[in-house]
Amino acid sequence: MKLKLVLEILGFVALAVLVAVMPSFVSDFHSREFAIVGMYFIALLGLGVLTGYSGQISLGHGAFMAIGGYTTAILSVDGISGHPVRDIWTIPIAGVVAGLAGLLVGVPALRLSGLYLALITFGIAVSFPQLPKKFGGFLGGTSGQILNLVKAPFGLDLTPNDWIYYLTWGIALVLLAVAWWLLRGPTGRALQAIRDSEVAAASSGINLAFYKTLAFGISAFYAGVAGALYAMASAYVNPDTFPIILSIYLVVGLAVGGLGSLAGLIAGAALIYFLQNHADTVARWVNHLPAVDLNPKQPGISSAIFGAVLILVMLLLPTGAGGLLRKVFRPLTTRLYTRS
Amino acid sequence: MVGVRVLLVCLLAAAVAAAAAGARPNATPGVTANEIHLGSSVPLSGEAAIAGNVARGAEAYFKYVNARGGVNGRRIKFTYLDDGYDPGRAVNNTIRLVQQEQVFAMFSSLGTNNNLAVRKLLNDNKVPQLFVSSGATTFGRDYKKYPWTIGYIPPYSEEGAIFGRYIVKNIKKPKIAILYQDDDYGRDLVSGLRRGLGAKAKSIVARVGYDPTSSDVQPQVTQLKASKANVLMVFAFGKFSLQAFNAVSRLNWKPQIFVNDVSSASALMSIVPQKAANGAISIVFGKDPASSLWKSDKGIRLFQSILKQHGQDITSRDLKDGYFTAGMATAYTMVNTLKKAGRNPTRQSVMNAATHLNEKGNPFVLPGIVIHTTPKSRFPLTQVRLQRWQDNNWRPFGKLISARPR
Repeated sequence: MKLKLVLEILGFVALAVLVAVMPSFVSDFHSREFAIVGMYFIALLGLGVLTGYSGQISLGHGAFMAIGGYTTAILSVDGISGHPVRDIWTIPIAGVVAGLAGLLVGVPALRLSGLYLALITFGIAVSFPQLPKKFGGFLGGTSGQILNLVKAPFGLDLTPNDWIYYLTWGIALVLLAVAWWLLRGPTGRALQAIRDSEVAAASSGINLAFYKTLAFGISAFYAGVAGALYAMASAYVNPDTFPIILSIYLVVGLAVGGLGSLAGLIAGAALIYFLQNHADTVARWVNHLPAVDLNPKQPGISSAIFGAVLILVMLLLPTGAGGLLRKVFRPLTTRLYTRS
Repeated sequence: MVGVRVLLVCLLAAAVAAAAAGARPNATPGVTANEIHLGSSVPLSGEAAIAGNVARGAEAYFKYVNARGGVNGRRIKFTYLDDGYDPGRAVNNTIRLVQQEQVFAMFSSLGTNNNLAVRKLLNDNKVPQLFVSSGATTFGRDYKKYPWTIGYIPPYSEEGAIFGRYIVKNIKKPKIAILYQDDDYGRDLVSGLRRGLGAKAKSIVARVGYDPTSSDVQPQVTQLKASKANVLMVFAFGKFSLQAFNAVSRLNWKPQIFVNDVSSASALMSIVPQKAANGAISIVFGKDPASSLWKSDKGIRLFQSILKQHGQDITSRDLKDGYFTAGMATAYTMVNTLKKAGRNPTRQSVMNAATHLNEKGNPFVLPGIVIHTTPKSRFPLTQVRLQRWQDNNWRPFGKLISARPR
């Protein structure tokens, strides 16, 4: 076990160094793209805790992102009784507000599981976009809310994109460490026990109600933080910013990243970002194959490519990127472990 | 704790790398010795996809200009991205175009919300937001706050006012029902209509908004019919306008319909039930390639030959699609603006040119229309005629009327 711990810490450090030096090697715009990948990664971490560890499926995490995004929008533009809050301080608040919403959803989750729970959460994803339309004066309706552009604080000499990149990945690394620390201790064991068998878990003295709601709360907190960052980066929120399909994409990212693996989720996050925004590039690559002639500008081509890539990934990597990582490292860890 | 220390080291490393990533080149973006790069975000998919043909029309015109030597020896490169009519994606596209593609200016992006969502961002970065494909009055009116933005088509509020004045003059005892898109676009039209009606604004007996993300407006139309109105304003866009005509026909309702310009394309009008569409009134400022009126017109002939020669994947239907002509008309003005902006255009000089236009003879708009702007009047196209749908054709009637806000 010791060796696994060392490997995990080494991996974390390697990731942190990679994150730190990345902007020096890529263009300013790519920093922004990686920042958005980081936001998806944060949301996926939360979903990983919930679905990967406690086994509760949520098809409504886009709604928690939306709650976070709207919290940031309202606090940084309208503020509290007319005093706008500085954007970075809205992030933890957004996380807490979304987290509370998550706890609320966690309550019915106690009675439902599997498909039924998934449907409830899907209902939330479907109905949430209606709220800003209903309360147009407060939430901005379909016209949405325009935020101030992000700017590096404390006189830091950073472009807005580099700033949002470091902010996002700084938070992502902290939240990754927190999730990792939480999941390797008793909480993680309790959640996994619940996932494997609720009856067995309850009979070994695990408080089902407490842990299941907790998982929802934590997971929604993560999504809220991701949503807050996304709102800041876009400088704009409206109901379409967090569409229903986003919730589905997150589940897709989780499956691609691998259930029960935290680091693999980065691959999941990258996939959902790049397939959404660069499917035309993929179409151009595919065109190099013989007898293929796709028009990258054709409507709907991005959805088709997205679907095709997804099927391929799931066929080739049924356990996701996390499964692949484990497969690569297992011979190494077991070998070294048995020798020592 | 090891973890905490590791984290601190990482954050420190991040800060150092961040400081190193400071300076980046900052010349006039998007203009090189032989190229000017323009960007746009339009719907190429989703319910408003048909309107994305505006960008395809503009693209063909720029290629035509390039084939003739470009503007002052520079060819125009035009990159447009699909936003599915979703403002969030329009934000992403715009940021990508400005930061990654390094465009010189944004040109003719489509949609009211979509342009509103990026207006602040573009103005804060001093990137021109030229000739937006939206008639929301704010794009021409609020230039003090947003000096880098300018509209193109007649403001919706004035279009509404024109309908209002027409009703006052020509319809006895009007009882008006309004179907409108519940955003700045729909509300602009409604407020203009009220102004045009003046004292007769009382004759509005019902108005129902619909949400641009909803799926069908049949319930709204049913509700409006119940008001026993004899006039129906269709301030709806794309598929919603289609659904409105369908619903009117299905309900056997026979009001005098007014349909706003952006939904009045012949391509759209000819596929709705004609018993509802016949006699509908709209405004017009572009030449309609589907109309027999312009069959032998020089401008429309030019339009069709450019599209055939320089357009991409052009079908015979596209040659009669008004969105393509609208795109070409805007591109024509854009080229004139670039010519006016000097040998070596800057973002400032192109803005200056766009606010000092006096363009006569744009071949793709109605004869007699002058595209005119001053720094204090930023509504380029403000002359329109009324038109009536008859026998599968729009028939303009009356003289050119002013749609310039006072």
